[in-house]
Amino acid sequence: MEPEEQRVRFLDLLQPIERDLENYSRRMVCDRRDFEDALQNAVLRAFRAFDRYREGASFRAWMFKILTNEIFAINRKRGRVGHAEIAVELEEMEQFTGLEFASDATLSWDSLADALDEELLAALQTLNQSERAVLLMRGIGDLRYREISECLGIPLGSVTGNLSRARQKMRAAILRSQKRSLL
Amino acid sequence: MKCAEARKFLRLYLDSELDTKTSLEIEQHLESCPECAGLFEAEKKFDQRLDRFLRHGRATPAIWKKIERQIAPARLPHVKALWPVALAASLIITLSAFLFARSRTLDLASAVEECHSAYVHQITTPEFSGSVPRQIAQQFGGRLDADAFAYRPSEPAFTSSGARLCHVEGVPVALILGHCAETPVSMIVLKKSELDHFPQIKRKLESGDPIACSRSGRYQFAARFLDDHVICMVGDEPRPMLEGLLKTVRRADG
Repeated sequence: MEPEEQRVRFLDLLQPIERDLENYSRRMVCDRRDFEDALQNAVLRAFRAFDRYREGASFRAWMFKILTNEIFAINRKRGRVGHAEIAVELEEMEQFTGLEFASDATLSWDSLADALDEELLAALQTLNQSERAVLLMRGIGDLRYREISECLGIPLGSVTGNLSRARQKMRAAILRSQKRSLL
Repeated sequence: MKCAEARKFLRLYLDSELDTKTSLEIEQHLESCPECAGLFEAEKKFDQRLDRFLRHGRATPAIWKKIERQIAPARLPHVKALWPVALAASLIITLSAFLFARSRTLDLASAVEECHSAYVHQITTPEFSGSVPRQIAQQFGGRLDADAFAYRPSEPAFTSSGARLCHVEGVPVALILGHCAETPVSMIVLKKSELDHFPQIKRKLESGDPIACSRSGRYQFAARFLDDHVICMVGDEPRPMLEGLLKTVRRADG
């Protein structure tokens, strides 16, 4: 492919996912001032490596992987997180039951105010980097479990484990908010 | 399927990570078990609330323009030959900007979401069943044909309640309304030649993807080519179910 064709093709693939990449970057960086640098570095890195991208593979998953690596590197430089961030769990998908959700079946969602977003934002900050990456790749990136596993280089069981813990923490935030609203 | 097994698969089901067979078994269990149905519904609402929070925010055009400006071809031609390249580049940038603007405003997945939402909230109802009435066919204006109304999923779980003519971003489409189990599902059929109005889906389908999937708002969306038409399915169904349903679409007379 000619360089200009390559550039146009790259932008064609990039533009539909710009919003998701930006949202992901904003919520993943430890220091909010870093989100734009992370985006810019990741996009330029991806463009330089575009000849290694296999046409037909998921461009979205490929971009999320590059952006995640960039964000992890930036966060490390900020000294906010250690190197051994990815917790490798050995849980198998079959071990995850839905029973843990039963006690929350009576959540009254309509009674929750927009102030809940603040509670959720605070809860998001309490997640470790792996939990947050998995939750956001699923929630914002709409990536499949296997794609997330490949992006982060962790077993499928670790994806489900991190996702389950992340959701539990976010759920706890919602419950806290609900209890406050009842006081 | 028993309650414990259905609950074991709760997250995988809601995350559309199960195969069609297991998803269907869960659906069947939920129909007969109000307790599990309530549990799944509560979890789905949690997902929706969380997704709304996580997805809140827009792309910042200034940031992306800045980034895109830095994306340059790997090799630059000799300075003497620069002016035709500059001209071509400006044309490409203009064309890209034009396509970019259109792709943001004309996206088939988000466009048909409104049709389905209107159906779910009973704002839209079927106009006819069976063959297309003459007064409706007269409104096609050469941009749609009666064949578009002849497609149906052969999946037994799908029941059609009728069809109507609709316009999506000014494009006439056949809207076939139905249910899969008890969940409303809309099938939207348009001529392939109208896909220029929806460049994102066009690119995806023409790039060789047999089925283009997306999520728009709370609904799943899946589309494919069939004959001279584009068949879209929209519904509050797990993605594998919707894809499975789409694969079974056939022309009623074929």
